[in-house]
Amino acid sequence: MRKSLAAMAVVAGALVAFQGQAEFRFPMPEFESGYEYPPMNTPQASRIPVPIDVSVLTVALGLTTYAVLVARSRRLVFVLSVASLVYFGFYRQGCVCPVGSVQNVFEMLLGRSTGLPVVVVFFFLLPLVFALYFGRVFCGAVCPLGAAQEMCAVYPVQVPRAVESVLGLVPYAYLGLAGLAVATGSGYLICRYDPFVGFFRRGGSFSMLMVGGALLVVGIFIARPYCRYLCPYGVLLRWASRFSKWHASVTPAECTQCRLCEDACPYAAIIYPTPANAPVSRREGARKLGILLAATPLIIAAGGLAGYGLSNTLARLHPTVRLAERLGAEETGRAADGTPIKVSLEVETFQAGQKTADELYAEAGAAASQFKPLAVVFGAFLGLVVSGRLLRLSVVRQRKDYEADRASCLSCARCFDYCPVEKKG
Amino acid sequence: MDSKFGRRDFIRIAATAAACGAGFAAVRANMSAWAWQLDPSKCMQCGRCATECVLDPSAVKCVHSFQICGYCDLCSGFLVQGAKVRDTGAENELCPVGALKRQFIEEPFYQYTSDETLCIGCGKCVKGCGAFGNGSLYLQCKQDLCSGCNECAIARNCPAKAWERVPIGLPYLLKTRTAPGGENPA
Amino acid sequence: MVDSVDKMKERQARFKVRPVARNAALTVAVVAGAFSAVVATLLIANYVQIRLAAPLDAPALIELRQEIIKSPAATPELVEQIETLDLLARKAYLTSQGHIRTGVWLLVAGAAVFLAALRLAAAFKPRVPLPDAAPARESFWQARRNARRLIGGAGAAFAAAAFLAAWFTDLRIPTASLAPPRFIAPAPQVTPPDWETVQQNWPSFRGPGSYGVAWHTTAPSEWDAASGKNIKWKVEIPLPGRNSPVVWGNRVFLTGATENQRELFAFDADTGQTVWRFMPDGVPGAAPPQLAEDTGYAPSTMVAHGSQVFAIFPTGDVVGCGYDGNLFWQKNLGLPDNYYGHSSSLLAYGNLLLVQYDQAKGGKLIALDIYDGHEVWSARRQYISWSSPACIPSPFGPQLILNSEKNVDAYDPVSGKLLWQVKCLDGDVAPSPAYGGGRIFVANEYVTATALILGGTEDAPSAQVAWEWDEALPDVSSPVGDGLYFYVATSMGYVVCLEAASGKTMWHQEFEEGFYSSPVVVGDRVFVSDKAGVTHVFKTGREFVLVADSDLGEPIFATPAFLDKRIYIRTEKQLWCVAAQDDS
Repeated sequence: MRKSLAAMAVVAGALVAFQGQAEFRFPMPEFESGYEYPPMNTPQASRIPVPIDVSVLTVALGLTTYAVLVARSRRLVFVLSVASLVYFGFYRQGCVCPVGSVQNVFEMLLGRSTGLPVVVVFFFLLPLVFALYFGRVFCGAVCPLGAAQEMCAVYPVQVPRAVESVLGLVPYAYLGLAGLAVATGSGYLICRYDPFVGFFRRGGSFSMLMVGGALLVVGIFIARPYCRYLCPYGVLLRWASRFSKWHASVTPAECTQCRLCEDACPYAAIIYPTPANAPVSRREGARKLGILLAATPLIIAAGGLAGYGLSNTLARLHPTVRLAERLGAEETGRAADGTPIKVSLEVETFQAGQKTADELYAEAGAAASQFKPLAVVFGAFLGLVVSGRLLRLSVVRQRKDYEADRASCLSCARCFDYCPVEKKG
Repeated sequence: MDSKFGRRDFIRIAATAAACGAGFAAVRANMSAWAWQLDPSKCMQCGRCATECVLDPSAVKCVHSFQICGYCDLCSGFLVQGAKVRDTGAENELCPVGALKRQFIEEPFYQYTSDETLCIGCGKCVKGCGAFGNGSLYLQCKQDLCSGCNECAIARNCPAKAWERVPIGLPYLLKTRTAPGGENPA
Repeated sequence: MVDSVDKMKERQARFKVRPVARNAALTVAVVAGAFSAVVATLLIANYVQIRLAAPLDAPALIELRQEIIKSPAATPELVEQIETLDLLARKAYLTSQGHIRTGVWLLVAGAAVFLAALRLAAAFKPRVPLPDAAPARESFWQARRNARRLIGGAGAAFAAAAFLAAWFTDLRIPTASLAPPRFIAPAPQVTPPDWETVQQNWPSFRGPGSYGVAWHTTAPSEWDAASGKNIKWKVEIPLPGRNSPVVWGNRVFLTGATENQRELFAFDADTGQTVWRFMPDGVPGAAPPQLAEDTGYAPSTMVAHGSQVFAIFPTGDVVGCGYDGNLFWQKNLGLPDNYYGHSSSLLAYGNLLLVQYDQAKGGKLIALDIYDGHEVWSARRQYISWSSPACIPSPFGPQLILNSEKNVDAYDPVSGKLLWQVKCLDGDVAPSPAYGGGRIFVANEYVTATALILGGTEDAPSAQVAWEWDEALPDVSSPVGDGLYFYVATSMGYVVCLEAASGKTMWHQEFEEGFYSSPVVVGDRVFVSDKAGVTHVFKTGREFVLVADSDLGEPIFATPAFLDKRIYIRTEKQLWCVAAQDDS
């Protein structure tokens, strides 16, 4: 009943909006042989019901939590990983996914959304809530992108900590960029540049398939490159996981500092105990930290300034800006030296429309100018992230045990087998 | 580890409460999913529906609103312009894969149907039908084939900006004799 | 570090090396990896081939299709050629699709086997955790210091990149359209010519008012190109076009164009010498339009209006020049959404230039100021057409009559207000309206021709259908009326005379060749030129009386201009002046 009412409303609306079309040239035929019109094939879209989707996700997260925290079984985590790859990856084709949901949620928070489906809200929140209590169990065996890379991580090489630290800044930049794109209405970058979704749905842009393939091949040696150096949702998971009450730990009981787990983690997520021989005195260290703290606003400001400088380049993310630039180049139908050029399809379509060139240029100018303050925010955010990391690297927290770094540990359970300590009871 | 209620616990509880609140709000609002669809009144048959879709062959297929069709012998969506003979020879057909089939009904009417297993969504028949015929052939995104991407690659590349998000319950923008776009099967 | 013996044994078992199994696994891995690599390469090659070669759009196929369209009949060899090639193309396309599908599954399977085997191989030679044998690693503090430096360096690099980007990136968005109306100077605001003066010239398509009635009635009836009888001069027109010549004062104006060139021409009416030529080059926004072969690149007739002349091209470019060829203004109205190409001719009324800019979507009747080209008013129109407007001196005041795909519309020429509308047309309407004796007559192929009788009052004019007729219908040539009768000439060679009051067929004649050119009433004669170049002259009236047949020997598509004792005829390649030889 609701559907037909809605259909009537739609038809009414369409009738109201009806403009004369240069179609319907020939009259409707009058058939004498009793011919009946064949039915039109308009299949409905099939989407998995929301409760099923959410339940499967919750169960997967729950099982992984059990595998990592209670059973402490690498085998179980691996099996769950494969199951997630098959279900969330190849069967659900990697969409809806929490990684991209960041954009939709951000869009809604900015008030730019046309409607956020319920399932997206849950896919965004559930991994974060689990991370808040149990660490990055989502990354461990639920995320299909992670699972795909996990399958390939066969001969992992240890990345120097310094390099890991720097490359780990890229996800923040990616998150900021994706947020900038959503805030300016330039599209969903995370979805566009998802390297593995092309494999899951067996079709996609050629370049992204190549990139995905390359990442998987690289992933044989540098384990989980997307997760560590690109995933924007990982930033949020890091923040949530830092507050986790229970987290995957290398040892089931007390650490005996046997050092056997030093090489265990392919993701450089095990924190070693702090050695005693600090190169600078505590006082000197505190002074340097003070300088860094004082420099933080400057770094943020510098970031903002850099963002401002990038605002023109970033403005090209916006389709109206790109079209206006194209129109400017092709509008006269001639190149700079006077030779006639073939106008592109976009410009030809635009010129056949109702909007004037002046109107488009005004729109593009407005779109480009909204990039300026937003790019400053983006740059300042990057500056904040950089100074945050520098500060973290300058503050020493005395540890005597080998621990999993709550922010970067992906709960893959590889290190469990390396620890000789037995569980109590 | 101390078991007192610390700062971290507070943050955790607060964040969880916020998440639950957001979850409830979302369920109450019951925002449904949406689907992608092509508005045939804006479409200019540029052919990108066939090449830009992440799926190969494209999820966009030619549909035929029979009630609009004139059932003409000289169908400008089926025959190339300047066809010498009105038959189903390949030299006379517009459709590059032969998906549009012609069948005699009664004098002088012919029925034209589009075979979806062959159609690649190139829009050549749509262009011909719209320019010289009734416009009964047009492209639509088939929802059983469509992946429902968050960002539709065709929508992004459409020069006429003819793609829009539609509620998943009414995912088609069909033409009828009275409304050029916006009618859904009841 | 106290391990029980069992635990030690368990760990030893866990970290045991199994060389045989490992080698087996490695072999499988290598084979599967090679297989996957091969499949991947084949998939890539297949994809590239399909996208680049595009068998469905193969140039050979396209060429053959064009050949078959151009040839008068489809020879069986050609048909067979095309069908074989088409079948091959389709097969190639569909099999490649199938290959991609199977290839993807094979790749997934191969990759799965490869990874599984690799993992097993790794499991069969596990890395024993021996920290002392681990490679030398940087110290904790060193690592931190390096990290800080690296981050600082990265930050600095980012800032440098941002600086460079800021320096070198300038968004190339113009502040205003690069294609504004090109404006040299407004034309001097001389009073536009009045109806009396307009009538004494041939200012637009089908004469003053554009409804096919000549004011001068002294044109000669007979001429002959072969013998040179009554041919005063002829001159070759450098660029082709099907628009008709217009005459004002002592000059004949017309345009010609090819895909890349457009020109306005002015010839001396007495001698045929080229007085001036103007190329509206660099008209902004001149994107190449969609055109049918019959339309050509210069289908619209110019309008000459006192001290100014105007022209329009299917690119949407409108040019306003002075009588001496100096440019005043030019602008582009936007690429018309017209699949055969815009062909409506121009009309001028008072200080307005009227453009019937009908399109598939978003068509308008536009009135431009003759002095500087700015838009004075525009009226939205629903349907497309290829006919030209007529301005009729009706008993209820001047009315602009426009045909469209479905309607005949009348507008007030000063304000653009729609006066009345009658739905009586269909199909692709190219013929323009005829007017005579208070009636309007419109006709087009595939629809019944209709005569409308004007009525109403001067404040609220109206029109009603008087009668309909559908025996011989034109698709290009426009009918004409002399007040008592309407004359229709069709592309099949029929000429019919209908009584204006009743619609009764008075007579009809069949000629060998068809007519694109429109018939013109010159006094008590009607002139109509056929596609072979023969102009048939017959008397007006209820009986067919042929006065003369005059042959120019070249195809005539345009409508001639009739002045005092002169006719200007545009054939496919030349402009002819016909004048009785006993006059100078």
